[in-house]
Amino acid sequence: MAIAVLASLSFAACSGAASPPGDIDPLEPTDPAAIEALLSETDRPTVLNVWASWCAPCRSEAPLLRQASAEFTDSVLFIGVDVRDTQDGARSFIAEFDLNGFAHLFDQDGSVPASLGGFGVPLTFFFAPGGDLVHLHSGVIDERTMALQIDELLRR
Amino acid sequence: MEFTLLGSVAVAVVLMYGVLRFEGGRTNAADCTRDVWDALITAAVIGVAVGRLASMIQAGTNPISHPGDILIVRAGVDTVAASVAAVTTYVVLTRSDPWWLADAGAPAALAGLAGWHGGCAVRDTCLGAPSDLPWAVAQAGSTISRHPVEVYAALLLGIAAVLFVWWKRHRPRPGVIAAISVAAAATARWITEPLRPGLGDDLSTWYAGATVLAAAFGAWITFARRSRDATPAEAD
Repeated sequence: MAIAVLASLSFAACSGAASPPGDIDPLEPTDPAAIEALLSETDRPTVLNVWASWCAPCRSEAPLLRQASAEFTDSVLFIGVDVRDTQDGARSFIAEFDLNGFAHLFDQDGSVPASLGGFGVPLTFFFAPGGDLVHLHSGVIDERTMALQIDELLRR
Repeated sequence: MEFTLLGSVAVAVVLMYGVLRFEGGRTNAADCTRDVWDALITAAVIGVAVGRLASMIQAGTNPISHPGDILIVRAGVDTVAASVAAVTTYVVLTRSDPWWLADAGAPAALAGLAGWHGGCAVRDTCLGAPSDLPWAVAQAGSTISRHPVEVYAALLLGIAAVLFVWWKRHRPRPGVIAAISVAAAATARWITEPLRPGLGDDLSTWYAGATVLAAAFGAWITFARRSRDATPAEAD
């Protein structure tokens, strides 16, 4: 039993490094005006997740984001915004959790979530097509909440 | 916020303890309340921990290198692993008299589960699939009415808990209440799971399997052992 548990943990550790950070391009800097323009131009619902590599709760919800973005890749636009972080930390985080299935932007001073009315990390914003904010979830998001809010976006 | 989970836990714990206190001296022996309570709480904590570890491993996160992540249970708890671990822990802790103590804790465990689901009101997570039924409700700012699916689960489990407390007054064979309680919990989940929002895997098959196994086990305890206990003359 103990051997099986240790083997499982070893496999989990091995599977954590999906791709080396060197394969991840540096994140493009962004600001509130650029995000507003991006949201207003898209014709798809958007899920915008605010994260940082130093944020432990962000680590916990990262696998859920990967799963949700893969499942709704054609119908929902996923955007990650890395705040108050370093480029190396951001790239390592993306590589570790295999989050390169959607775009991530770099917000050095954390002005993007503040301009949208959010505080702290992690945050998950749900926008209707055109950029209207439908829901803001503060803290770690769970599968039920993620699925429910995406369903709300898709039925509008 | 994370603290809303504690609200659901508080509702569950209060209901579980209330049922145990009610049963003490009535349908349970008066001096067993503390032992059953300790076993139930320990089983619940170990169940959640094992479920969280299983969820982390499935997601590719190493619990040894990131032990702090284990505490962030909102990020995911594997229900099947948690259920198996909780039931196993309870059986081990009550091995001195497993059948009787399983029955002693079963209605309280169902009441605790009902409280956990009913605690959705604290977490604002009661809603599920869209519905036009009169009691469907929409979340704030939305026009889409939905099933209050967690309330359904709370009601089903709460009704089951009350029924089993009543049934225990009729002195069923030891183990029957516990087995049928497992079947009832799995059935409640099986009924409500299709109405819940979710990503990826559908766990309904697991719940259906648990329902059938537990119900079959309960039937075996009730009927097969009764036949075995009967005298040869009665059996003929």
